[in-house]
Amino acid sequence: MAPTPRTLVTGCGAICAAGRTPDEIWDAVADGRSAISEIQQWDTSGWPTRIAAEVPNVKPAELLKDRKLPKLIRRTDIFGLYAAARAIDSSGLIGHRNGLEADAAAHFNDRSAVYVGTGGGTYDSQYDYLPLLAVAEGKLETFGRELESTVNPMWLLRALPNNVLCHIGIRFGLKGANACITNHCVGGALAVGEAVAALRAGEADRAVVVGHDALIEPQHILYYQRAGLLATDSIRPFDANRSGSVFGEGAGALVLETDATAAARGATVLGECLGSGATTDAMGLLAIRADGDGLARAIAAALEDAGIAAKDVGMIVAHGNGTTQSDASEAAAIRQIFAANPPPVTALKWAFGHLFAASGVVETLVALWALRERSVPGIATLLELDPDCADIQIASRTQVPRSDIALVLSRGFAGTNVALLLRATATGN
Amino acid sequence: MGERRRVAITGIGLVTPVGTGVASSWGSLLAGRSGVAPIGLFDASGFPVRIAAEVKGFDPATIVDDRKLLKFANRSHGFALAAAEEAMQDAGIRPTPADATRWGCSVGTGMMGLEFTELEAIHRECAPSGELDTDLLLESDAAADPIAFCRSQVTSGLALLTRRFGIHGYATAVHTACASGGQAIGTALKLIRRGSVDYTLAGGFDSMISPVGLAGFCLLGALSPDNDRPTHASRPFDATRNGFVLGEGAGFVVLEEWSAARRRGARIYAELAGEGNSLSGYRITDSPPSGDGPIQSMRQALADAGAPTSEVDYINAHGTSTPMNDRSETAAIHAVFGPGTARTAVSSTKSVTGHLIAAAGAVEVVACALAIRDSEVPVNANLEELDPDCDLDFVLGSPRKQHVRIALSNSFGFGGSNNCIVLRNPEEIDEREQGGS
Repeated sequence: MAPTPRTLVTGCGAICAAGRTPDEIWDAVADGRSAISEIQQWDTSGWPTRIAAEVPNVKPAELLKDRKLPKLIRRTDIFGLYAAARAIDSSGLIGHRNGLEADAAAHFNDRSAVYVGTGGGTYDSQYDYLPLLAVAEGKLETFGRELESTVNPMWLLRALPNNVLCHIGIRFGLKGANACITNHCVGGALAVGEAVAALRAGEADRAVVVGHDALIEPQHILYYQRAGLLATDSIRPFDANRSGSVFGEGAGALVLETDATAAARGATVLGECLGSGATTDAMGLLAIRADGDGLARAIAAALEDAGIAAKDVGMIVAHGNGTTQSDASEAAAIRQIFAANPPPVTALKWAFGHLFAASGVVETLVALWALRERSVPGIATLLELDPDCADIQIASRTQVPRSDIALVLSRGFAGTNVALLLRATATGN
Repeated sequence: MGERRRVAITGIGLVTPVGTGVASSWGSLLAGRSGVAPIGLFDASGFPVRIAAEVKGFDPATIVDDRKLLKFANRSHGFALAAAEEAMQDAGIRPTPADATRWGCSVGTGMMGLEFTELEAIHRECAPSGELDTDLLLESDAAADPIAFCRSQVTSGLALLTRRFGIHGYATAVHTACASGGQAIGTALKLIRRGSVDYTLAGGFDSMISPVGLAGFCLLGALSPDNDRPTHASRPFDATRNGFVLGEGAGFVVLEEWSAARRRGARIYAELAGEGNSLSGYRITDSPPSGDGPIQSMRQALADAGAPTSEVDYINAHGTSTPMNDRSETAAIHAVFGPGTARTAVSSTKSVTGHLIAAAGAVEVVACALAIRDSEVPVNANLEELDPDCDLDFVLGSPRKQHVRIALSNSFGFGGSNNCIVLRNPEEIDEREQGGS
């Protein structure tokens, strides 16, 4: 049996309020700049939550270099496809394929996987029916009769959660193994984990991985605010006075390749995915365990999957969503695994908000940059460290990673926890 | 690295338009008794399509003894909890505190959103003119209902299932439109193979029979308009087919690592032997006439299972009854099976159940497991006028008694996500090869 392939990162792309490339996003994080500001998409005067990290000046046709496509998809899909295109372009995959003979190119396409994580959708996609409901005046018979004259015939297709997956297939001709993981905030991280598993199992030679989400809309914000999940000023992960999270939006994308195929085409290697672990607390949609048990098990599973020990981890990007409960249980999980010897810990959502399903991928990219720069960015909004978290190496200042390996944590509704382990490639490799 | 782990299907559960439970559903599936009828869930009299395959007389409380949990369940979650309960009881195991972390859960879910009555409330309270007024939204009761929020999220079903059964391992929800259910079961197979978990509860659930769901498919012109002949409207592969019929329901399986299932003396329906996924990369709603895409998912699944086409005795087709899908799928089966196509029984159980969307693939995997158990293949109902473009060995008129060595279940989704699942008859497995792994 052939040895299990290594899975290398050979392309990347990202977009969020902090920037439109991983470099721009890294610079914002490293400089301590937060992109959270007043919501622009609707008038929030009088609203209990008035802030978010919106991507400014979104011009879909420019982002996608396509005038027709934006009419068929939603804002979240635009981000996802943009990040995917940047990742694919930066990897040089398509140019390589286009240089192959026809049979080899067809084989290349069949061996190219696509794994997408997305939050699953927004409430406003159902608002396309509000004008029809107004016409119907409570009568379903009228609703049915006036349907075709009132609602966009493409409504269902625009609302499909798997649009990014499909359009990557159509646009780039990639036809291999695939999944659209609609698992809330861990969707992107699970997509990375599943892509790694597919490459290891020999189901594909390379994979495009995308996490994308755009949930900044009135109804979503209200539900979260009323569930007590949102802050009113900023995200302060692990701060004694933290009060909740802030919505962000965007997408991150990676190209992963087996070491053999990456070497064969001389690809530039940015890093390596070493392993992952996933669990659930099984407490229902919103509840999580205070002791961090599920997250600790995810980290332990990832370490085992990667074949490394806790002491080998050089830095941690915590989920750090800024809610009282989640951050406390996350600190408990880190303490349980790393005991008295944790590596430097940071969290990133203060800079670009909570990216939901995009978090796992965008934060993975920032972690790779941090390893490369040998600099764990500080949490700029951290004013007074929660005394309960004081023992786990969290700081508002920059720290130095103790190795070239990062642990990236993601958590989501349904009590899900995902841990990813990555290694940065030394410069010049 | 040791031998690859084998995976057994040891429990099955169904809620379909032709029965709540495996026994009643399977009887109707075999015999071709249609579940399609005029829509009764709401007044569809103004819609161009007024028929669907509804789950009838369903009350989750009779199956799931947790009123508090059911408060957070919408219609499709009720189907999921009931079908999963049946699968667990059928398997005769369920997670215990000692092994909860070795259990995973993988589900194919429908689209997120509010129930229609909740959307109506948003309209009344916040959008009387048809456009959302955010100031009214802020004041409305409709947008302040935590139960509506909890029911509407895309992971709501996963949250209910993992909580209900105490599943603490890998939990995931996937959505590739009509391929979701198959893909969820394929994901579960891989979780056990790679050792992430030893047991998985896997399946799919959906209910789009609501004014908004029905409207979405009506607008696309995807549904059969045969309102006057509901039981004949879904006729996959028939020359006069003219669209699919919307169905609803859930299918679940309990999966276990093979040798552990053997050790505990479990009844094994089938080996979950292989999975293949591909993208057609063609168009969002159209299937490529050549079968490109489905060809790769079938080949990959068979290769994954180590199964030659000559051992495949039954294909549960995606067979939606749309002109394009059935032609494309026929072309794909020809491409994969070559001359063997003539000897491979094919039926689409959507002829009976309609199209269960995100649940379809899971329900149809269960149908394959039952075909293997009973050595009997369900009929392709309503296939009366043969289409020269659809020349397969269809099971016509009545179910076919035959030993099934390998069964294959196809699911193809909007956007070109294709999934194929391969099941192997346990009698075909030489246990001595296992070496006790």
